Amino acid sequence: MQDLLNAATLGSIYLLFALGMALVWGTIGILNFAHGATFMFSAFVGHMVSKETELPFLGVIGISVLVGAVISSLTQLLAFQPILKRSKSQHAAEMRILIGGIGVAAIPLALAQRETRSSPFGFNSSYKSEVFEVFGLRLTTTSAIIIVAGLAIGIGLTVWLRRSRQGLALRAIGVDAETSAGMGVNRPLLAFSTMAVAGGLAGLAGALLTFHLGAIAPETGDQLVIKAFAIIVLGGLGSMLGTVIGAYVLAGAETFVLVMNWGTWVDAVSFGLIFLILLARPQGLLGRKEVRRT
Amino acid sequence: MSDWYYMNVVLIQTTLTTLLLALSIQVPLRFGVFSFAGVGAFGVGGYGAAMAMVHLEWSTWPAVLAGTLAAGAAVLVLGLVVQQLSGLYMGMATIAFTLIVSVVAVNGGDATGGAGGLYGALGEITMTHIVLVVLAVVALLQWTEMKGLGRRIDTVREDPELANALGINIAGYRRMSFLVSGLIGGLAGALTTLLRSTITPAEVNFHLVIVALTAIVVGGSRSWIGAMIGAVIFVWLPTVLSFVEEWEKVAYGFIVAAAAIYLPTGVLGVAKDSWHRFRTREERARIAAALQETS
Repeated sequence: MQDLLNAATLGSIYLLFALGMALVWGTIGILNFAHGATFMFSAFVGHMVSKETELPFLGVIGISVLVGAVISSLTQLLAFQPILKRSKSQHAAEMRILIGGIGVAAIPLALAQRETRSSPFGFNSSYKSEVFEVFGLRLTTTSAIIIVAGLAIGIGLTVWLRRSRQGLALRAIGVDAETSAGMGVNRPLLAFSTMAVAGGLAGLAGALLTFHLGAIAPETGDQLVIKAFAIIVLGGLGSMLGTVIGAYVLAGAETFVLVMNWGTWVDAVSFGLIFLILLARPQGLLGRKEVRRT
Repeated sequence: MSDWYYMNVVLIQTTLTTLLLALSIQVPLRFGVFSFAGVGAFGVGGYGAAMAMVHLEWSTWPAVLAGTLAAGAAVLVLGLVVQQLSGLYMGMATIAFTLIVSVVAVNGGDATGGAGGLYGALGEITMTHIVLVVLAVVALLQWTEMKGLGRRIDTVREDPELANALGINIAGYRRMSFLVSGLIGGLAGALTTLLRSTITPAEVNFHLVIVALTAIVVGGSRSWIGAMIGAVIFVWLPTVLSFVEEWEKVAYGFIVAAAAIYLPTGVLGVAKDSWHRFRTREERARIAAALQETS
């Protein structure tokens, strides 16, 4: 049971991280490889600020979310937008967006590595996590916050995307960008705000994971990008509910591998899942069927 | 000149093996297959060659051959498995293959040396050998870029429906691209490993995928010359950038991002374009001059 609780905490972190990537990829068609660097750098800025002054819990969270949103919108404005403008088709842009993202990601990573000499960093905060027991299970306040935040935002985003007008517009872009633009959807503006929201989610995930673990390393973000990809593919591209399920399934599978003491195989879980899902059900568990070129 | 050569012999060797690695990703790209399996092949080839030398005590070239063939076979099988995927999905499935290679290497026990890697596989490879091998590979690829074969490959990439209508066996071509990619990647891995005498799981990582991919994108993705330009740029960049010292990695990120935005066809594409523009301008000038004479 304790393991289930741990899996839920891990799954909620994965979820907050993957939701941003899934939202951006599933709607405006950008697979943002700088998402992991955004995640890491938001927490890093929180670390730098908290070195100067002691911050309350919400202060760190606020800074990280803000930094994440700023980095992400700058990436969109300075890298992805120009690439899309210069590409003939979305298909041709795919690869260049991937590489542009990798290039962008290298910059904050190098900055953080230089500052910390690649050692883990944490926060200096007035917030202290407390442990309490529920039904004989050990639960920290951080874990509880993470689980609640993950589920609330996951469900909230799912509902918002299904019910609201902006959600409809975003989904329309995901289905057919050109037609939706013709129907009056302001694609650049919507893309920009989607990237900002995704960056804010990455910042939130970064701050929460750092609170949970005590410290993260500059390279933590890179591994998460691949895991998030596995989660999105598992759940199905374009389905937020699929992403929610995917995050908890991956976290559960990884926790299972750890509990079984196959620790060194943990990294293979997400890669193996990517592989299996792509072969058995390429559109993912809840994904819509894509129109495929030969 | 010879002083310079002796000072930089390691960098020259690295340039050539990086070229091979970049080519192993470029070959499928030219067929329109977004596959990073070449980097996994690098790992299979490196481990295959090292295991043949350390455990079976084979000599250098049989070991290289064993590693190369093992990698070719592994990637061909992978290609058969993932051939119905497309675009980014294919890309990620092949990245997953690459990372699984490294996880298997960590868990391989005595056979692969675990997380510490395999040591003591020092082959007898000279610069001449490497140059000859690279020349052979490049000659083969040049042949695939010329005449009918080159045009058929371009068609498979740019317009699969048209290729199908022309009676080109697309699936066959794509399978072939996996095999060639695996062989070249395996060769790169085997040569690199036997030059350095070691291979560790940490080397076969996502970073290697990025190095190979950025080399192609910055250089140019349509011809082996582009991969060559990219390999030269990224192997020599650190020495050129030494004046910015600690900012080197930041500059690296800027260069990659800028190349993705502003050089859609890579350095080679830009060079070709300006050459064409220069030629047409000369041609026009000549025609204009001829017209003036006649009138």
